[in-house]
Amino acid sequence: MIYYLGTYLHDTIEALSFLRLVDSISFRAILGAITSLMITILFGGRVILYFYHRGHRDIPRDYLNFEAIGNQAKTYGGGLIIAVILVSVALWSKLHSIFVLLCLGAIIWFAALGWIDDFLKVRHRSSDQGLSETAKLVLQFIYGIAFGLVYVTEAFSPLPTGLATQLYLPFFKNPVLDLSWFYIPFIAFTITAISNSVNIADGIDGLAIVPTSFVVAVFGVFAYVSSHAKISAFLIFPFMPGVGEIAVICSIVFGACLGFLWFNSYPANVIMGDTGSMALGGLLGTVAVLVKQEFLFLIVGGIFVSEALSVVIQEKIGIKWLGRRFFARSPVHHHFQQRGLADTKIVIRFWIVAGILALCGLATLKIR
Amino acid sequence: MKYLFTGGGTGGHVYPALAIADEIRQQYADAEFLYVGRRGKLESWVVPEHDYPIRFICARPFPRTSAPFALIWFVIALAIGIVQAALILLRYRPKVIVGTGGYVSAPILFAYGALAKIGLSRARVLLYEPNAHPGLLNQVAGRFAHRIGVAFEPAGRWFDMKRVAVVGYPVRRSFLELERGASRERLEIAEECKVVLAVGGSGGARVINEAVLEALPIWREAGNILLIHITGRYKGAEYDAVADTEAALSRIGLQGEVECYRRYDYADQIDDLIAAADLVICRGGAGTLTELGISATPALIVPLPSSAEDHQAINAREMERMGAAQVLYQEVAWNGIRIDSQLDGKKMAQQVLELCADEEQLRAMGQAAQAIPKRNSLELILAELDSLVAGRKPPALNLEFPQTNRGLPADPNALMRWVQNRVDEVGGVEALDRCELAYLRYQTDRLLAAEVWYEIPLGRRNVGIKLVGILHYWERLPLLLQILEDRTPVNLLRRISGGDFYHVGFLRRNVVQYGIRSLGAVDVQTRAALLQALSDDPYFEVRAWAAQVLGELFSADAEIEDGLRSALDDTSPEVVVRALAALGRIGSDPDLLDRLRRFYRHPNWQFRQGVVMALIEFVRRGVLEGGQLEHDLDKVLASTPHFRPEFTLNERLRELSELIHSNPSQSQPVSRKEVAVSNEESATEVQRQADRFRDYAASQR
Repeated sequence: MIYYLGTYLHDTIEALSFLRLVDSISFRAILGAITSLMITILFGGRVILYFYHRGHRDIPRDYLNFEAIGNQAKTYGGGLIIAVILVSVALWSKLHSIFVLLCLGAIIWFAALGWIDDFLKVRHRSSDQGLSETAKLVLQFIYGIAFGLVYVTEAFSPLPTGLATQLYLPFFKNPVLDLSWFYIPFIAFTITAISNSVNIADGIDGLAIVPTSFVVAVFGVFAYVSSHAKISAFLIFPFMPGVGEIAVICSIVFGACLGFLWFNSYPANVIMGDTGSMALGGLLGTVAVLVKQEFLFLIVGGIFVSEALSVVIQEKIGIKWLGRRFFARSPVHHHFQQRGLADTKIVIRFWIVAGILALCGLATLKIR
Repeated sequence: MKYLFTGGGTGGHVYPALAIADEIRQQYADAEFLYVGRRGKLESWVVPEHDYPIRFICARPFPRTSAPFALIWFVIALAIGIVQAALILLRYRPKVIVGTGGYVSAPILFAYGALAKIGLSRARVLLYEPNAHPGLLNQVAGRFAHRIGVAFEPAGRWFDMKRVAVVGYPVRRSFLELERGASRERLEIAEECKVVLAVGGSGGARVINEAVLEALPIWREAGNILLIHITGRYKGAEYDAVADTEAALSRIGLQGEVECYRRYDYADQIDDLIAAADLVICRGGAGTLTELGISATPALIVPLPSSAEDHQAINAREMERMGAAQVLYQEVAWNGIRIDSQLDGKKMAQQVLELCADEEQLRAMGQAAQAIPKRNSLELILAELDSLVAGRKPPALNLEFPQTNRGLPADPNALMRWVQNRVDEVGGVEALDRCELAYLRYQTDRLLAAEVWYEIPLGRRNVGIKLVGILHYWERLPLLLQILEDRTPVNLLRRISGGDFYHVGFLRRNVVQYGIRSLGAVDVQTRAALLQALSDDPYFEVRAWAAQVLGELFSADAEIEDGLRSALDDTSPEVVVRALAALGRIGSDPDLLDRLRRFYRHPNWQFRQGVVMALIEFVRRGVLEGGQLEHDLDKVLASTPHFRPEFTLNERLRELSELIHSNPSQSQPVSRKEVAVSNEESATEVQRQADRFRDYAASQR
């Protein structure tokens, strides 16, 4: 809204021509981040209290006995993040850009999915009674397919002609493969996988939110580079006009994540639940596809990847198929808990690793 | 009038159809018949023997495995079957269709449903369900039937009750006119001879055949027993009923004509045989049991463990409850390749000898059996058919079906919870009634024999192992130890992915954690198996639990202590920590201190804590003197990366809540004496809590 207001004002009133600033992506990105951060910090406390009065609480899965002792944290923190992101996006981004619309679609779809899951869990008072695994996967896949169709079809695609179905890898200058229509299932798989991995990683206070903010920041930088004609030419990136809006959104999400950490840091007053983790995961997946850096997530989101892999290895291969465990517990942060590491120690070590991975990801800007 | 009969697979479905058809043929001269069955099954040769024309269609049972192809084949077979059935219906144009269950009858009924919908068939349909639990396809097919006859009331629950009639189980007319003396005369059996008839149902039964042959020498020695053995004509890759029985007979030296043994492949005069018998050893199918009841013959029932929904065991238990029969369950054992279900011939021989010696009891059982079946079942069914043909509305039936399911939960885990609750409810395994305990142990055996260790609904060996512990099933301890020690590898793909043996890691762990531990087995074999598992099982949880159970159940000796000591070098932290705890509990060697001292500065704080706890135990039990450890205290690295934060607010809150819950409600008036008592109680309660909090706070530091 502020973007439209600014444009209108500097077009009509000579004296306000300095408002041309709103055309600048970096300006809107920075103000967007500050906006979302401030909104969360200012209103977060009240929202938490409100939901606490309404009796919304998350039921932690009883992996360890002491986990159940003091866990009074409330779910629906996810709703807080989503609301803040939506408000800030409405304020600062070009709402008519198809990039923005696709991102908003992802957030809303996945948030709705996560909300249903949360709702069922709270209703049944058990963390195993949420949406069934199959239902979750199918619904996520449906979004992926729909998004893929929009993305690949020439008429709707936000990308320049011929670029949409090209597959880029980190450390390679040129696209390695043209997947054409196979790009759609690939997109669906990518988004589903990323969304679920963030969901899995959301297990200890602050564990998921900081790596998410790192990933979002790195993707924001990549989006900015791709949207800038000169920088993209210099770094030999495909030039994608309009993708700068993604940078604005990434920046807003970054601010919202930090604001959320304000309350979510150990010991948490609020946790994001499936609503938040799925929505953020779905958004990350969508952004990764839109800036054409799907494989970069393997590096930048290494924490999420390892968490998801640990679950697949433990649950699917180990317990279901081979009848044994590979880790003491899965996901892997529970393994460390079981081995006697304190929650805070695990979380901060994961942050450090995530930070290093984010730097590695940034390095692929030039090393290619 | 044209009748179409369908149903088959086993005698339980074919014989009722034949009994009904025979009766119709006798009463109406103008009746025409066609039987629809499946090629290669019982009906394909029994029906022609009874002079009925038969046509074959394609059919398959609903797959109970999770294998994807089974379902696909089922759907294809069902589709082909329905088309064939529709063609038969269009060409033959029957006036009445009688389906007696078994998966063959489903395509006919489905095809009829489709044809009736478009007005191409005007037949009237009677579905007859001989079992207490209808098969899956019959439940669906019941929608197309105008009338549903059930043999047993509980089966009505699965159908539309307005159309259900309880008609009993039709047996051949000849059964109703049997007389023991006459039958014996026909079969040339002496009056004073005790006749034991062994029959494995229409298909024959390998386990019964084999057990009977095992028991035969014992009975022969006891004398005065004539075994009439119907082997059945089963012929498969692994087993050939006739040939293998011959071979076994020659092995025990009983070839040819012998005084105490008669063999039939297949008995047409089964009615005479049953009437002549003093005791029948048989499966628990509804047909056999009804025939037994009508001829008042006592039975020793061996339920088929793989019967659908385990209905044979339910039938057998019902007969047992009425005092009409005894039940002998199959048992499982490890045969080197898989866990196999067998029948203990010696046990059977003993049980039969006891029964035969007790004339009184046999008579009582026979009388109890006689009270069970409906004797006018055929008349009831014919009356139903008549009213169907005449288009009369059936009389409104008001059946009250028992809501409580006499069967157990089908899901293994639910079954385990059920058993645990039941044991808790009666106050221990010993308090369970003998028959119920035998039944629950039989359920355990069924689970143990399951090929699949995990998936529903085939049952799980995993749950079976836990049930052995819950039910104190000592007879299965050797089997558990074999599972623990078995080293049959799984296939290469699984081994590469980290799998190891046929009895997967969880199974071996549960043998130790639930089986041996709940049984409290301390014999030599168990000890050896645990030590073996502790030293060389490839799965860490098995080693960890072996260490723990050794510490809990056994007292120290050099071998166990050596085993636990070498477990301290294990690569898995779980094993080391539990081995330390076990050593603390039973260790008696003061020289161990040097080994323990190496853990004082171990990077893993759980090891250090384990050592400290072991040392505490050592000092408490007097293995070490306090003085020996005086200088050790500050050598232990005491910092840990682990802590348990607790909000003081939460502590106070819990204190308040415990106070509130521990105090009796103040709203009711209480006498002075009670107040004094309750004050005293709450005072001790407060004291107890204070102690607990002090302990808790201490543990935090």
